Order: sequence, then structure tokens, then C-alpha cells
Amino acid sequence: MSTEPVVAELVERRVILPDQRIDAFHAPAIAVSARAGQVLQVLLADDEGLVVRRAFAINTVDPSTGVVSVHVAGPARADALAHLRVGDRAPLAGPFGRPFEVDPRTTHILLIAEGAAIGRLRLLADEALREGRQVTVLLGAQSARDVYPSTLLPDEVEYVVATVDGSLGHPGSVADLVPQYEAWADQTFAAGSPALLGKLAALSASRLTRMGVAKLGRRRAAAKVDPPGSPSARRKSFLQVVVELDVACAAATCLGCVVDGHAGLLRACREGPVFAATELSLETVA
Amino acid sequence: MKARRRVVTALDRSGGRGPAWPAPPRKARPVPGLQSPVSRPRLSGSGEAVAAPVPSVPLDLSVDLGSGLFLRNPILVASGALGYGIEAEDDLAPERIGALVTRGTTLRGRTGNPTPRMARTPSGLLNAIGLHNPGLAAVLERFAEQWARWPLPVILNLAADNVGEFAEMARRLEGVPGIAGVELNLSCPNANRGGTLFALEADSAAAVTTAVRRATDLPLLVKLSPAAPDPRAVARAVADSGADAISAVNTLPGLVLAADRSRPALGLAYGGLSGPALRPIALRVVHEIATSVRIPVVAMGGVTTLSDVLDFLAVGAQAVAVGTAAIGDPGLPARLADELEDECQARGLSSHLSLIGTAQGHRPGNPSARGAEYRP
Repeated sequence: MSTEPVVAELVERRVILPDQRIDAFHAPAIAVSARAGQVLQVLLADDEGLVVRRAFAINTVDPSTGVVSVHVAGPARADALAHLRVGDRAPLAGPFGRPFEVDPRTTHILLIAEGAAIGRLRLLADEALREGRQVTVLLGAQSARDVYPSTLLPDEVEYVVATVDGSLGHPGSVADLVPQYEAWADQTFAAGSPALLGKLAALSASRLTRMGVAKLGRRRAAAKVDPPGSPSARRKSFLQVVVELDVACAAATCLGCVVDGHAGLLRACREGPVFAATELSLETVA
Repeated sequence: MKARRRVVTALDRSGGRGPAWPAPPRKARPVPGLQSPVSRPRLSGSGEAVAAPVPSVPLDLSVDLGSGLFLRNPILVASGALGYGIEAEDDLAPERIGALVTRGTTLRGRTGNPTPRMARTPSGLLNAIGLHNPGLAAVLERFAEQWARWPLPVILNLAADNVGEFAEMARRLEGVPGIAGVELNLSCPNANRGGTLFALEADSAAAVTTAVRRATDLPLLVKLSPAAPDPRAVARAVADSGADAISAVNTLPGLVLAADRSRPALGLAYGGLSGPALRPIALRVVHEIATSVRIPVVAMGGVTTLSDVLDFLAVGAQAVAVGTAAIGDPGLPARLADELEDECQARGLSSHLSLIGTAQGHRPGNPSARGAEYRP
């Protein structure tokens, strides 16, 4: 796989929260092919000529204008794109990684995220609405000042918030909200801390026992074991998770992005970053 | 002692001393949108850009690393940068570079260190991959056949925690097509010495080199650590024990903290520092080693530009490997090879040999182990 980059102009920068913003690039080649769950890389060269690749979750894409936006989060001292100004051009590569897979029969989609990890799910809301599905977003944050602005989500999305300090929405963890929506959802997609993903994986694993809900997938193929990373493994899964993917190479050579899977280590850049929850040992996802 | 045999790879079937490769078309492209330091115009003494003169002599950049291992040019890909090469073949341009050194490979497969395994540092990278590899047998089964068809020599980097395992792996490589040589990663803990790295002690390094030399006739490179108290003593020991060439240097242990300073950034806490941040140290060690041994030195440590290549040649390296910079930019080694060719032609040189060792005039009387502030 070639990782050849394209040069893209930074066309818009929008600060949405402290230490979080949306950067939009004009990159038509990426915008037409990007799918929810994938990342793109910005190639940056330092004064010594060392080129490093920084990966960012694709936030939105607009194939008609060729604009693709990324969610940038983290403290200012770790902000790799800080030196870019609107109008500057930078090499972008991607999209990388395997995307979310939605079963064609799914009508109700539940998105669960913690904090800035919502950036990894945002594009899925657009894709699902475009295909006529109903979308509910459950977001967990430390406090009201960390909550992703509702104005950045499409109007059709139901948006439910939980804050740890109780300053907005449900007081407590976002995981507390899940049982109210689990029965409604046909498929669930999550991004967040290993602790959250572990809790959700446990809920998902017991879903059949508790609710008698049939597994997804064609009946004949339901018993078939799908190879890790295959689209069918994700499509059949009630819960798909996306792990953070900030990889140095994107060619599966550096092995810096492995995650613990039941069948051994998996490379997030090659077999992920979206996985069926059943593929991972979620207590060790970092 | 066994008779040395000539290693024949897909690119070298001439049978003579010097290879005669057809010049392949240049494939490696610069990263668009980045100011490539390697493409800076050369400056004359007055600071004005000079046009490259038309070459008047045929250019020979080939390198002899011993035991019949000839490279078409002195630019290699360092171990760990591009895995086993196959994964990055599209970007690598294998027909343009001297050799590829593979990821560290152990006798049995290893799953490596806990994640996160990589952290960025000022002008560098800290990594603790932990020799994640499928094991020697699986590597040979998956890749050797393809390497044999490749137009460049592949040098297999071997790692182990005892002398016997190093020798066993070398023995298993005898007669395997596609393996042009081996490189010993001596920055491994020696289980029989309480975990002290082989590369830190001359006698440990010599013991491994001797055992592997007895086990194989393949060209043998030994990779040394910049953490050694006296790299010259270790280099002399491995040279006297049968190494064909020395690779210098491996990474240097370091620490990076997570953004919130609550823990180390890496799952293992410590990692190996590489990239331009390591370069002055690598340059010093290569200088020390190249003035101490008569076998070729393959230099590595933060190479990102032609200027870095020329620096390492100037302190005595016969060849230069690109590591960390190739992770983000796999086409860089091929571009550097092209740049070096252009540089030699612009200077009217018939080979790069006259660029080697030009900065060795000042030969220090004391090893750096005595400290930079040492005055006799």
C-alpha cells in the first residue's frame, strides 16, 4: 500500500472547546473516499527534516466541496498542527484504516463517546442519517465546559449528555445511560477510555442472554467465524469500537499501534482502528 | 576456518568484484508540500547556488561490506524502520537503495511490549516495540522467497538473550536464499550476565560475534550501542572476533511523560531514542569506532538529509543507514541515494570514497568514556 500524500490547504479553523478544535482542509481526493472511523495523517517536517506523521480522526467530509475536517484535541504543548494558519498548505495522506460497517437492516444507531473521542464517531452520524437511519448520541464528559457543542451535530440526532460532576445532563458516567437505549438500538458504536469500552463490551456480550436479541448477519453465515478485521466481522457485531490511532508509519511496519485481540495482537492501522468488540480484549485496549 | 563464499543476490550475478547494475529509473518521489532539506541547492564558497556540471566520469558508488556483500550504493534502510520491507515496497524503491536491514528477529516469536510503544520527542522518536516479531522460521517462510527476487540485498537483524540462540539462528540461515547477510542486535540483555546488554561489554560482544562467526559464513554485521562506556573497545573486540562490518549506532534509552504528567508515555516507561536528536552522539561514536577498527562501519543515527550522510562519511563510515526518518517517509533512502549520486557528479568524483574519513584528521587520544571535559 502506498502512503503517498496530497497537498491540502487549511481552509477553516474553529475552536470548539478548550484544547479542542476542528481543522478543515481542502482535500478532494480524501473527501471522496473517506468513511467514518478512518483517520487521515498530516505529514510534518521539523527543522532537522524529520518527517513525522500525525493521525487525526476524520470529523466530517463534504465530497461536493472537497473539504474534509479533522478533530484536533489535546493540550497546546502537544498540538502538532499549531504552527499551521488558515491558508497554509500541508501534506495529507489517507484515509487510513478500516471503517465502521453498518448492517443494511439496521435502522437505529447508538453512538457512545467520552469527551473528545466523539470526534471519531461524528462522521458516522452523517453517514447514518444520509441512509435514513435514526441516530442517538450518548456523550460523557467531566463537566459542562467539556461537552461537545450540540450545534456541531445534525438536528436529526438525539443528543444525551452525562457529566461526572453533574453540571449538565445525567450526573455520572455515560455508561449509566446505555441500558435505557440498548433495547432501542440495532447497532452500537463507541469510542472512549478502555474502562468505558470494557463496560460496553460486557453489556454487549450479555445482550443475547438478557434480551433474547438475535445476532446480526444472515442466518446461514451467523455461525461462521469471520477473520479479525474483516468487514463482515464488524457488520455482524452489535458493538463496534474505534481505538485511537496515532501511528508513525500507516504501512503496518512500525508496530507502534498494536492492540490486544482475542486471536493475538492486532495492528490498529491494518486490522483497525474499528473493531468488532468481540475481536478485542477490551480491558487492555490502550 | 571455513572458506568464505561469495554471496549472490538477485542484483549481483556478475561474479566479479564490482557489481555492474543497470541504472534503474528513479522512482522515489519527494513528499509534496514539504520543503525537502535534501533538495537544498548546493552553495559555492561565496554562498551562491552552483549548477551541477555534466558528469565526465562513470560513477561507482558500490560498497564492499566484506564476505562478498556488495551494495550498489552506500545508503541502507536501518533495522526496524520498514519492517521486513515487503509491507512498504511501493514507497521503498528497492532498486535505488544499497540494502535493507530487517526488523529485529528472534528465534521464537515475541509479542513485544505493552502499548503505547512510541512517543515523539523533540526531533526524535522514543520507541519500545520490544522485538515484536513472528519468529525466525515464520519470517523465512513468509518473506525469504520474495527477498530472493528483490533487486537489493536483505540483511536480517537477529536478536537474542543468550549466545547460543544467536548462533542457532545464524546456523539456520545458511543456504537460505534471499538472505544477503546478518546483523547482530547486541542491544539485547544478556540473560547470563544479569541482563546487562551485550553491547556494553567487550567480552560479551566478542563472545556473541565469535559464536555466530563459527555458525555461518554469511556476511556479518554487528550493531553496537551508543551507551557503551568505551565503544572503541567493543568495536575492536567484535572486529577481532570475525565481524565483517560494524553498524553504529543503536538507540539510546530515554523517557517521555504523558501529556498530563501522570505517567510515562510508553507502556514500558523507558524506550530507545532515535532520530536527529541522537545524531551528535552517533557521529561521535562512529568517529571513535572508525578510527579504531579496519573493518567497514555502517553509520546510523538521525539521518534525514544528504548533509547528514556526508557528515557520517566524513567521520569514517563506509555506508549510512536511514532509520527513523524512513518510518514517516519511506521514499527518503532512495532520494538520499540519488542526492549522493548527484553530489559526487557535481564534484566530479568517480566514487564516494574520497568523501570518507575527511574529518578524521583529529584523532582523539582518549576515549570519550573519560568524559568530554577530560584533559590529559
